[in-house]
Amino acid sequence: MILLERALIDLLLNVFTREELNAFLRSPQNTATIIGCLIAISGALLGSFLLLRGMSLTSDAISHTVLLGIVVAFLLMTEVFGMEGDTSSPWLIIGASLAGVGTVVLTELLFRSGLVRQDAALGLAFPLLFAIAIILVSRFAEDVHLDEDAVLVGEIGLAWANTNSHCYQHCDSVTITPEHPAATLARQCSNCRELGISPRDDGAEFVEICGNCGVYSPARAWSAGLLQNQPHLVFFPKSITVTLVMGLLSVCFVVIFYKELKLTTFDAGLAKALGFRPGLMNYGLMILVSLVAVGAFDAVGSILVIAFFIIPPAAAYLLTDRLSLMLLLSPIIGAAGAVFGYDLARGQLFGIWDVGAAIAFINQSLGLDLPARWDSSISASMVLMIFLFFLLAWVLSPRYGLISTFVRRLHQNRRFQNQVVLAHIHNHQDTERREVELRVDTLHLHFRWQPEKMRRVLARLRVMGLVRMVDQLVELTERGDAHVHEFRKVMLATHNVPDLD
Amino acid sequence: MNDKVSSALSVGDLTVAYRSKPAIWDIDLDVPEGVLMAIVGPNGAGKSTLIKAVLNLIPRAAGAVSFYGKPYERARSLVGYVPQRGSVDWDFPTSVLDVVTMGLYGKLGWLRRPGRQQREQALQALDDVGLTDLVDRQISQLSGGQQQRTFLARALVQDAQIYFMDEPFAAVDAITERAIVNILHQLKERGKTVIVVHHDLQTVEDYFDWVTLLNVEIIATGPTADVFTPDNLGRTYGGRMTYLSDGQLMPVGD
Repeated sequence: MILLERALIDLLLNVFTREELNAFLRSPQNTATIIGCLIAISGALLGSFLLLRGMSLTSDAISHTVLLGIVVAFLLMTEVFGMEGDTSSPWLIIGASLAGVGTVVLTELLFRSGLVRQDAALGLAFPLLFAIAIILVSRFAEDVHLDEDAVLVGEIGLAWANTNSHCYQHCDSVTITPEHPAATLARQCSNCRELGISPRDDGAEFVEICGNCGVYSPARAWSAGLLQNQPHLVFFPKSITVTLVMGLLSVCFVVIFYKELKLTTFDAGLAKALGFRPGLMNYGLMILVSLVAVGAFDAVGSILVIAFFIIPPAAAYLLTDRLSLMLLLSPIIGAAGAVFGYDLARGQLFGIWDVGAAIAFINQSLGLDLPARWDSSISASMVLMIFLFFLLAWVLSPRYGLISTFVRRLHQNRRFQNQVVLAHIHNHQDTERREVELRVDTLHLHFRWQPEKMRRVLARLRVMGLVRMVDQLVELTERGDAHVHEFRKVMLATHNVPDLD
Repeated sequence: MNDKVSSALSVGDLTVAYRSKPAIWDIDLDVPEGVLMAIVGPNGAGKSTLIKAVLNLIPRAAGAVSFYGKPYERARSLVGYVPQRGSVDWDFPTSVLDVVTMGLYGKLGWLRRPGRQQREQALQALDDVGLTDLVDRQISQLSGGQQQRTFLARALVQDAQIYFMDEPFAAVDAITERAIVNILHQLKERGKTVIVVHHDLQTVEDYFDWVTLLNVEIIATGPTADVFTPDNLGRTYGGRMTYLSDGQLMPVGD
């Protein structure tokens, strides 16, 4: 991890100065946006396949149960192997991905028992694992940074402050021993408690305690005032590294196994028959989902990370008919949500509208007293923004959106009405009953239609040049006649082909 | 078990159970090379189960299967499979050409991507089933018959020796039915073996030269003219199943 950060910083230092880089990373906005985008990219890529597999809610389950993996790994490290409790240890990540896979396996077992349905199996497995995790946290690991708030919404706004420091010049680390001039020494009574006496009483023995001894990294040494020359440091937010690794893993996984993922998702039976391993792909996908859920855990919390998995793919699914395009669009939608979501949390909608001003206006016009300062949860605002993009796709998508569906239905209805009337005229116009059947003022009665509706249809057909009125009777024009024959031919040839336009 | 090379498919003592209830029971079946065979039987007779168990898609409780004398793991490239149309999600964001190309993934193996050559093969197969005009169509916009022909084209590109088709004629239009029959006969002319789960008793004698009557157990199997008799059909469909006692109707290889 540290090496990766170092390499990345070296790369960036070719373009920017150290001061520029630090200033950039110290901005909560930049860091939060970068992290949000990276989570959005990996979430959207993996979420696309979850969506197509009908497993969207698995990301919900996994993002909770990874907590169990983290806690168990943490307890094993500290209690069993006696290691230092380090919340950024790779063992926690391994534990988390095992918990993710465990969730899927448990769900499968419950489902295969044949006694519960798939959705119920998931709903059974994940609260169980999450509950165990919560009990373990509250019982054994209270001091660990795993409190409920962090689990629920994360702290993406503070991610900039949790950094690794990398030193580039004047990199003197300082070791303070009790002999060091800067050491702060204190005397402490070593047997007072044991003998129940006060330090002033006779017989009290003392030891010297060094309050600040230890090894100081250049960054700590400088801030403690132990160095003459300021070390040249770069502070790199840990969350960026973690989410960057997750993003790269997700991109690599999807790019390398694109063909296999597509096949196993579309037709697991064929995949199996052709010698691919649908089960293996499934567990690979689940491991990655767990990894991303863990990586995003700190930043956006376990509930909101689901939004990054589900909403962008759902929006992209409405916008395109191609898997490759869907995999391109959904990360873009997610990332856009992260960028504009940060603005929203700070009171700006798309950088144009000021939410505070809008609230002030509402207060003024309605006589309310809502707080005008708008400063809300960053990750929740990002989710709201992603959802807004979904809403846009849902309404405006050229093929599947509400509006185009409505227009298409209207168009189909009209075409159908046209055809019905044309067919009626065609059937009767050369018969003796034409005087009865085709009178303009009574035509609507034969259809049990409102007169107004018939007038509209006839008006349309006249404008299209398909019918004409002769002596109060309607009859087909030549074009109208050709139209009827063409329509019948098409209908007969492809009677079970759905209408496409 | 019969391992004669002349039989394209050889099934011995195959049993599949859902929990403790057998779905198919002690199936012995030898299908000679180059026949067009229908598997016929009532609902719940285990027709699809037989195909899936033969292809290792569901676990077998007992029994062995070989293709041209080889187990499935070494005969994958010889076997083409057309699953039931309803087995996949037709709203999946992909095109007809893409679905057909999936039939070639097995030959490509892991990680290799389909290229120009695969595209040509897929286009040829789509031409064979009469879907040339719909190559780039999103699959959700296909009619049932067109979906079935897409699946058929996907199996054709596999260029297998033996094909398994699960109810390809279910709810398709007349055009598709004719197209499928044409393809079946072309496959037969090229020496392929085709095994089809079939529902329509009216057309069995027209379309197929070999028949297996199945109702959990094999009732009869052999040339259509010999096996597709009212007597056998009565035993297949008529309520309780009776064991074969009539010597002349004993299935081949039993």
